Amino acid sequence: MELDDIRGGRLDVISEEGEHQDISRESSTMEACYVVPEPGGRTFQRFSVNTNESLRFEPCEDSCPSPTAAEDDVFEKGEFEGEIIPVRNQLQGKVAEMENFAGHLEEIFLTVEENFGRQEQHLEQHYNDVLQTLSQRYDERATGLQEEKKSKLESLYGQLLVCGQALDASKVLIETAQEIYRCQDKRLFLKTVMPIIKRVEEFAKEDIDLTLATSLEFSTPLADLTDVKTMMDSINIVPAPSAPVINPQLPNSATQTSLHVCWSLFSDDTVEYYELYYRPVLEDTPADSTCAPQESKVKVKETHCTVTDLLPNAQYELWVTATNTTGISPASEKALYMTVPSPPVIKQRECSSCPEAALIRWESGNTNPVDSYTVELSETGTVGTESNITESIVAVPTCQCLIQLQAGRQYFISVRAVNIGGPSERSDAITISTTGTFFYLLEDTAHPCLSMSEDGFTIFYGDEELPITAMAFEDNTFTRCVAILGDLIPVRGRHYWEVEVDEDTEFRVGVAYEDTERDSYLGANSSSWCMRHIRTPSRHKYEFLHNGWSPDLRITVHPVRIGVALDYDRGTLSFFNAHLEQHLHTFRCHFQSYVHPCFSLDNPGALTVHNGIAAPDYTVT
Amino acid sequence: MALTQVSSNKCAGGFQKVFEHDSTELKCKMKFAVFLPPKAETGKCPVFYWLSGLTCTEQNFITKAGSQLAAAEHGIIIVAPDTSPRGCSIEGEDETWDFGTGAGFYVDATQDPWKTNYRMYSYVTEELPKLINSNFPTDPDRMSISGHSMGGHGALICALKNPGKYKAVSAFAPICNPMQCPWGQKAFSGYLGPDRSAWEAYDATVLAGSYSGPQLDILIDQGRDDQFLSASQLLPDNLISVCSEKKIPVVFRLQPGYDHSYFFIYSFMNDHIKHHAKYLNA
Repeated sequence: MELDDIRGGRLDVISEEGEHQDISRESSTMEACYVVPEPGGRTFQRFSVNTNESLRFEPCEDSCPSPTAAEDDVFEKGEFEGEIIPVRNQLQGKVAEMENFAGHLEEIFLTVEENFGRQEQHLEQHYNDVLQTLSQRYDERATGLQEEKKSKLESLYGQLLVCGQALDASKVLIETAQEIYRCQDKRLFLKTVMPIIKRVEEFAKEDIDLTLATSLEFSTPLADLTDVKTMMDSINIVPAPSAPVINPQLPNSATQTSLHVCWSLFSDDTVEYYELYYRPVLEDTPADSTCAPQESKVKVKETHCTVTDLLPNAQYELWVTATNTTGISPASEKALYMTVPSPPVIKQRECSSCPEAALIRWESGNTNPVDSYTVELSETGTVGTESNITESIVAVPTCQCLIQLQAGRQYFISVRAVNIGGPSERSDAITISTTGTFFYLLEDTAHPCLSMSEDGFTIFYGDEELPITAMAFEDNTFTRCVAILGDLIPVRGRHYWEVEVDEDTEFRVGVAYEDTERDSYLGANSSSWCMRHIRTPSRHKYEFLHNGWSPDLRITVHPVRIGVALDYDRGTLSFFNAHLEQHLHTFRCHFQSYVHPCFSLDNPGALTVHNGIAAPDYTVT
Repeated sequence: MALTQVSSNKCAGGFQKVFEHDSTELKCKMKFAVFLPPKAETGKCPVFYWLSGLTCTEQNFITKAGSQLAAAEHGIIIVAPDTSPRGCSIEGEDETWDFGTGAGFYVDATQDPWKTNYRMYSYVTEELPKLINSNFPTDPDRMSISGHSMGGHGALICALKNPGKYKAVSAFAPICNPMQCPWGQKAFSGYLGPDRSAWEAYDATVLAGSYSGPQLDILIDQGRDDQFLSASQLLPDNLISVCSEKKIPVVFRLQPGYDHSYFFIYSFMNDHIKHHAKYLNA
């Protein structure tokens, strides 16, 4: 690429960005590339590097002039290219940051406006309240005064009336006295004068109450404005918040050791910070409070919080209070949250598979029960890398699951434990190949004299005789026949596996029901079918045993690799010499339930099970 | 070669036919039975050769053995020739039932007056296959052989003497070691002369001892209540020990309660045809 093209192409991009911002940048690591302007006066790109000056990009004009000889030293094509790119990336990064920042500022601006608006409202209301109260008081007082005035006037008026009456009465009396004085009739005068004189005397003795009935002063009690005062004061005081509302647990917000809790404010309270309290809910809460689980609290400014360091699959009680300068709100309602369970652990040795299905068993991974399990499977890609989950089986109630699969594929299968908090992390995956039938041997059924190889597919019957006392018989172990069962084959259809033996091993191989008698020999009862090899000094003998009976057969070539083909649908169990592809015998049996492969050694020796093999064509009729 | 159809009956979805022709090996008219399965109408089928025992003709097998259903299911042509040349007017041929007519023993006789006509070995291994392949929709590379009693002996020796020619072999109550039993000794001395070394070429037990060729997989059913077994005519133990020693795969089944008859053959014919089908249809 020509140097011109480099400049023409890439640098144009940088120049666009340069126009948008004029911000000081940190020095780039680019070497100084200083382009000498051509005598024609056209401007070049100029990079001021290793300085704090802002990088300014003048757009390149029409075509870039060819570099001068001097520049050849300075510019190395590759360097040039390589150095532009980090600078450009840096710039792009800065642009993004600035945009983010601008966005934040906007948000903050809006929030401030909101808050301000709320404060304003608040204040208005407050003052309105105060004014209202004052005018109320005024009214009260005014009416009080009015009434007082009224009552005083009334009493004065009354007094006035009384005085008037008294006056009238005296007047009348005086007039009567005068009348009598003027009366000519002396006799009548003497009759009436004495009572009149008495009356006048009495009247004169009467004290006239000249005091005013009421005082002229109005009582002016002190106005009780304390509550107005408090109101005024409280304008300056922000009220304590009311209790927040804690939200119920959101699905998929919890992890094994953390909970994401959200709450909201009930009203337009001002809150400085929240305090979130939490404590585990124990199954068995003791009677005395001294052993109550410890409460923890977290102080947060936001209306959400992620509480960490919790136990998996555990229930927690949470509540939150809001605090501002005035005080602390009452606690919110208590909410119950649950952490997600720990992931289960798939029990590798207890998983089996066949072309159409797999049986997966796992351990819960949690001491307390969980609600259910989810099994996830994905087919491995052709490259062997894990592809996305192709199927999920939810609401599995127990720690095992029989999954339908397709033949001849490979799958990764994992399990999650689920409770109301959500699903756990995925367990470690197990790889299942749906080629052939695959099963492990059940160690807990093995006769004590049998030992197993590490991979679990070879059994040995040692030479030394174990004393009976040293043998640890369990409920499930074979006690006479030195035998072991394979894991159950719980899927209909055809299954095939092979057993490798040597020339002299006396063995029994076949299938048996789960409840086959542990104190009986394989093939000697109605719950097992097997091929038996007996070695005599002169030859090999073979029996195909069920219920103690065998057909009479001779086989001339001793099979060292025996193919066992089980067909539930047809009710057949066939044996083959796998090396020769020779059919040996077929049992026709109507299986009442699923069976286990069974193996035993009748003399010291070893036997290896090979499974996960596709059934050869000759075994399929 | 000209074939004349003698009879044809629809059977098991196919056709059970009987043909007659002039045999060049046996120098007489010979009949043989052919079962054509439904598949033969549209494609080539492998061929299963059945050799019958003493006193039998081509009829016994097709009427008593119950082979047609299994043959139809597996798409196999079954050819069942007669057990000896007929109408050759050889003196003594009808004297006993276990020598001469109906008792060809599947050898090429070297002794007079038998050597002209009694060439059942060549008939079965050469002439008949050529005839069948040119007249019927066969796959010439897929042949197998089986038989009962003397025919079992015949099947075994044809397979052992022609490594790779027959894709499968089986037998019902075969005469395993004719050199050691009355039947065989009578027949061989008559057809092959007194030199016992000449007999070895037609004794399955001896042939097994020196067999080298592609691996065989021999299925033999034997009735436990077979009178001829107890009469030491069949001698399967001899064959088994040689095969054990020489590692020739054999599965030998002793069937309790069964005798030497076609009832016995009928009971296990399906197993044998399945055994043959496994190799013919592979």
